[in-house]
Amino acid sequence: MRLRGKVVFITDADSVSGRALAPRLAAEGASLLLNSASGGQEIEDELERIRQSGAEALVVSADLRRSSETERMLESAAQRLGAVDVLVHNNDLVVPISVENGEESVFSEVMDANAKTAFVSAKAVGARMKAKQAGQIIFVSSIHAEKPTGCSFAYSAAKGAVKMLAREASVVLGRHGIRVNAIEFGPAEGDDELFRSDISMLYDSYRYKVPDGVLGTHEDLAGLVLFLASDESRYLNGADIRMDGGFLMHYMDFKTKKPFEAGGSP
Amino acid sequence: MSLAGRIALVTGAGTGIGQGVALMLAERGAKVALGYHSSDEGAKETRRRIEERGGEAMTVRADVARKAEIDAMAEEVARRFGGVDILVNNAALQLNFDFDHDDDAYDRQMNVNLKGYWQCMQAVIPYMKAKGFGRIVNISSVHGKRPTDFDTVYAMTKGGIKMLTRESAIELAKYGITVNAIEPGAIRVGRQGTKETKPFVPPELAERAQAEKRDIRWKFPMGRVGLPSDVASLVCYIASEETEFMTGAAIRLDGGSMLL
Repeated sequence: MRLRGKVVFITDADSVSGRALAPRLAAEGASLLLNSASGGQEIEDELERIRQSGAEALVVSADLRRSSETERMLESAAQRLGAVDVLVHNNDLVVPISVENGEESVFSEVMDANAKTAFVSAKAVGARMKAKQAGQIIFVSSIHAEKPTGCSFAYSAAKGAVKMLAREASVVLGRHGIRVNAIEFGPAEGDDELFRSDISMLYDSYRYKVPDGVLGTHEDLAGLVLFLASDESRYLNGADIRMDGGFLMHYMDFKTKKPFEAGGSP
Repeated sequence: MSLAGRIALVTGAGTGIGQGVALMLAERGAKVALGYHSSDEGAKETRRRIEERGGEAMTVRADVARKAEIDAMAEEVARRFGGVDILVNNAALQLNFDFDHDDDAYDRQMNVNLKGYWQCMQAVIPYMKAKGFGRIVNISSVHGKRPTDFDTVYAMTKGGIKMLTRESAIELAKYGITVNAIEPGAIRVGRQGTKETKPFVPPELAERAQAEKRDIRWKFPMGRVGLPSDVASLVCYIASEETEFMTGAAIRLDGGSMLL
């Protein structure tokens, strides 16, 4: 029970990562504040598992792009659960958009969903953590904070922005005993569809660009989040941890563990 | 490295780095369009100084947070000068709001520094495509990598520019357009800054160095902060034909300060 008595706020509980994170953190004794756009409908199974384990979960539906709404939600949640000890920002919206022909509205949608929610939630939660001079903030980001997608420049720009947000916050909030770290996660099953690109062959045979040939899962991610949320990571601050099984290290495609396919291209 | 015959658009050309960049581009023979928003006087002065030396310049006003104004700016430059070959994205805000941006300040900062850079790129791509040549230089900051400790959202925009530069580099390569970023450290800006050629260190740091009996090189390995002309030299190099294989790079330009 590494998170006994801790209140963990997950900013997108409906997402694949959120559905893996919530039960795992609850099993370690955390009480959960879950922001769910579906009002809990899409996570009924997870909520059931969490409650069976004896943990408390409060479901809210706040628009984290808006400070006033976020502040109000945190205020009322604190009365139920106590103040947030751990913020896990895991919002992750990918929409195709090109530099040449992209629409302004798509750019703003993607930037706001990924970066503005990160800033607004870190600012609001950070201010409350200051009062306790303790806390952990974890940004679940992406390998695309470093590697271009070739399909959604707004997504990677947002992740680049979150990378700097994490570094800034590690200094500004670090003086108040708050640790801030980012996880640059990927690829997971299905990301070849999500990041389908005419420009980049990054996701061709992507499974085999992980040197071991085995893709990571959001359960792996949950393990790292748990570590960062716990006191075991006491000296980690301002770090961006690339969690990709070595994917971004690949270079020589012909040396991968990909099995030979008869009739396939070499 | 002559830029004769090239057409450049520099945003934020009324002050500081933008002014210095515009002057040097003109010295190398480029026709320079001076984008400005609030620095009307500065833009006029830049134009006057270029024309005094026999160069060709025009001023054009646009708020880079507004797409319609950006598009109008690019069209006007293309109409008067015959295209846009070089774009220097430089117009940026630094609100110095620490961690305290309200939602509107956040939007303003993002819209100018990040969305503005993108939309200026988008506006000039057709003209660069038409000639099969383009040089886009995004003026970023060392704060694309290292935190500021005085302006969180400013650093976020610079982190975003790093990825915007990489993405657009791979997307626009097929048109002969390169996209690179310069990450300057401390640059002495201001009206007088562009004329300054002598070594300079901020007085408060010089005093501190003296009080602590340290060489100023403990903070600035080259013995001074940067000048707009330092940035301008690199812009001119990137804008030349010699760099056609360089794209998606972010070049730190800080006299080595960030290594300390």
